[in-house]
Amino acid sequence: MKKSFLKLAALMLVLSLALAACSSGEKTSKSNEGGNKSESQDGGTLTYAMEAEFKGLLDVNFYDGQSDSEILSFNTDPLITFDENIKVQPNIAKWETKDNKVYKFTFEKGVKWHNGDELVVDDWIFALETIAAIGPDHQRWSNVNTIEGAKEFNEGKADSISGLKKINDYEIEITFDKARANNLENIWYYPMNRNHFADLKGNKNIDDWLASDQVRVNPIGTGPFKIEKVIPGESVELVRFDDYWKGKPKLDKVVVKVIDGSLIVGELENGGVDMSAFHPSLLPEIKKMENVKIEEVPGLSYYYIGFKLGTFKDGKSVMDKDKYANKQLRQALLYAIDREEWIEEFFSGLGNPVNRPMPTAHWIAADNSELPVNYTYDPEKAKQLLDEAGYKDVDGDGFREDPNGKKFEINFAHYDTGNPTYEARAKAITQYWEEVGIKSNLTMTEVNLYYDQIEKDHESMEAFYGGWSTGADPDPWGLWGDDTVWNYPRWVNDKANELLKQAVDTEVVGTDQEKRKNLYVEWQKIFNEEVPALPIMELNDVYAISNRVEGVKITPVGMDDMHKWTIKQ
Amino acid sequence: MLKYTLRRVLAMIPMLFLISIIVFSLAKLMPGDSLGGEIDPANTDPEYIEQMREKLGYNDPIYEQYFRWITNFIQGDFGKSTRYKIPANEIIMERLPNTIFLSVTSLIITYVLALAMGIYSGRKPYTLGDNTIATANYIGLALPSFVAGVFAIYIFAFHLGWFPSNGSVDVSVTEGTFEYWLSRLHHVLLPAFVLGLLNTASYTQFLRNDIIENSRKDYVRTARAKGTSESKIYNVHIFRNSVIPLVTFLGFDIVNLVGGAIITETIFTYPGIGQLFLTSVTNRDYSVLMTLTMMFSVLTLVGNLVADILYGIVDPRIRLD
Repeated sequence: MKKSFLKLAALMLVLSLALAACSSGEKTSKSNEGGNKSESQDGGTLTYAMEAEFKGLLDVNFYDGQSDSEILSFNTDPLITFDENIKVQPNIAKWETKDNKVYKFTFEKGVKWHNGDELVVDDWIFALETIAAIGPDHQRWSNVNTIEGAKEFNEGKADSISGLKKINDYEIEITFDKARANNLENIWYYPMNRNHFADLKGNKNIDDWLASDQVRVNPIGTGPFKIEKVIPGESVELVRFDDYWKGKPKLDKVVVKVIDGSLIVGELENGGVDMSAFHPSLLPEIKKMENVKIEEVPGLSYYYIGFKLGTFKDGKSVMDKDKYANKQLRQALLYAIDREEWIEEFFSGLGNPVNRPMPTAHWIAADNSELPVNYTYDPEKAKQLLDEAGYKDVDGDGFREDPNGKKFEINFAHYDTGNPTYEARAKAITQYWEEVGIKSNLTMTEVNLYYDQIEKDHESMEAFYGGWSTGADPDPWGLWGDDTVWNYPRWVNDKANELLKQAVDTEVVGTDQEKRKNLYVEWQKIFNEEVPALPIMELNDVYAISNRVEGVKITPVGMDDMHKWTIKQ
Repeated sequence: MLKYTLRRVLAMIPMLFLISIIVFSLAKLMPGDSLGGEIDPANTDPEYIEQMREKLGYNDPIYEQYFRWITNFIQGDFGKSTRYKIPANEIIMERLPNTIFLSVTSLIITYVLALAMGIYSGRKPYTLGDNTIATANYIGLALPSFVAGVFAIYIFAFHLGWFPSNGSVDVSVTEGTFEYWLSRLHHVLLPAFVLGLLNTASYTQFLRNDIIENSRKDYVRTARAKGTSESKIYNVHIFRNSVIPLVTFLGFDIVNLVGGAIITETIFTYPGIGQLFLTSVTNRDYSVLMTLTMMFSVLTLVGNLVADILYGIVDPRIRLD
């Protein structure tokens, strides 16, 4: 009895395997579906892979995380956009202003939502009022509370935002609570379809919005592709939106999939995936593939080595630590690092050394020729500066002591996420320093603990590696001002801070972008001379794109013109 | 047996309580919290983060947070996932069917293969067939699951193209149709096989060794002398005795049924409970983490109980009381 059951079960197993192998007309490469017209470039399905799981908040007004925003870039259009130099440009809306306090926006006519409605200014008012009603619980509150009357609306003292004046269906006048140079970059520039969310209008509880089907299951936007199906944690299917206002998109479908990092290379090779960002260390393998091309885009991130110069007390930075207070010491430590070699070794050369805490792509970035020091690799200069600063080897052990003759060691820290290249590259830094005679030790710390300790000014964090990604608003106050917790080195320089304050003060710069840029350049010069943190490099973003795909445009801000992308059948 | 079961169930409660305290404290002692990863200085207001911390109660002392959590938990409120922004039990229920499907398939594959190979090896020990099976099994035992997973994908999915390499179902197939279920089965076979590799190997070898040992026992000689057919001896008498260790494994497998597939799920991007558990730890999603832990603990204890009871049923020599 048991034997025949076993035989039966084994037979069923073999059968199901055979069935599975046979029935897969759909194999791992889905690229041959859709678009039977082989004469034109129209049609086809693009398979886009990302490594990190998406959370599923697929309405732009509630998104929260990098992966969700990548999906949203296919189905959403912002009202204003940014060019390759991160300068703001009109998109669906254009604007006029005389004083940076009152703005008049004019919308394009005939922009359609995925549900057929036409986009009008009421949709933007709806989005702003929704965020204002939810108030401080909403992540974007700080992008709405600069509008006059938003706070009163949130507190229930008014039933509309006084600063929003609808002129007609396509024109709106917005008054901010005061004139600021970055009022435009800061305002929340996405609309929300008021009919789609009619049942939630005025709801102050953000949880209701986040759990709604309109955000998770059938979100809509005005972008070139509309979301058809969501399989949580795995993939999203988007189909072409024929009435897209910039023109009918060429592709039939876009499938966004989450794929584990270890499989990206294999998937690209056999055509299962058409496009994906990848980590620089995979460059050698991807370069070898014949069916894939590489797109390198200047990035918006930069990396530095910070020194703890003080502590954060009562909301202000105070420079009360003197281990790294000597400017020549810091400058020497930067001269000692061969940044070109380091980038070549650990990032496959997909980056550039940078001498200021601002990526080169940004319009306020100072040109290298304007900066006082260029810090090209010069260990002799480093040694000379250290000698001048008084760091000499007095006891003959091969390592320098501090000016008081006491032992001097750098305790360098780097975050650990499990990626093995991190430790190697951090060790390389300590080796560069030891070559100029400074004893250096390395500690790898788990990433969450790492940032916890840096934020709390823990004594084990004295020299640390970090990085930031900049956004559209150029103002670096949030990262380097003296009252912000993100200023990890706790640097305070009165002259530098004064420049940053002036750059956002409309009484000083008015609406003159050139004046603003010059103030930021002056600030960068001071930073470059003082180096409270050593600017190390900026990374380029790299994408692997199948040769079948054409017309792809990627800027430092993200993907663009998706409606023009095509796939060869 | 009823008294026995009841006693065991009652003993579970203090154990669960203790587990919850330990896991909660460990989770909270981990540095960082769910908001730490959201920091994007260009877009995130530090005031917003501070406010969220206050609201979620992260600044209160640990025992206060624990007390709040345990009172909610007992009343059925499992909390809200800070990462997915929906109630914790909703996100778990969303992922649970996938994992159950994966585990049951894996279990079926494992048992069918293990029984087939084990019986064959046991009947014909020390032959070429037996040694081949043993070699294959030891390789399966030695390979860590992530290595096995990646190899399996490269061989079966990329080179041979027999199976898809990721996901639980093809996104373009409409739900509920026959095609849909076929697609799901197709996607689950490779991860189920990889998942079951380790268990298949150990079960096969256990079964084989037991069969060989039992075939030397006296009652087998007696049965032969009485004229019972070989197949009846092996498939009824010896088998029933040899299957005892496997039965105890079944109890533990109930836990693996739900929680054990973490690495396999991650490699195959198969969204299930294992992957959910891993991300909840990395992202400090305390509600989901604690709910899952309590679920796994209950399942482990229940699994142990089931194993012990089954043991009593299968082996008449054991009396439970």
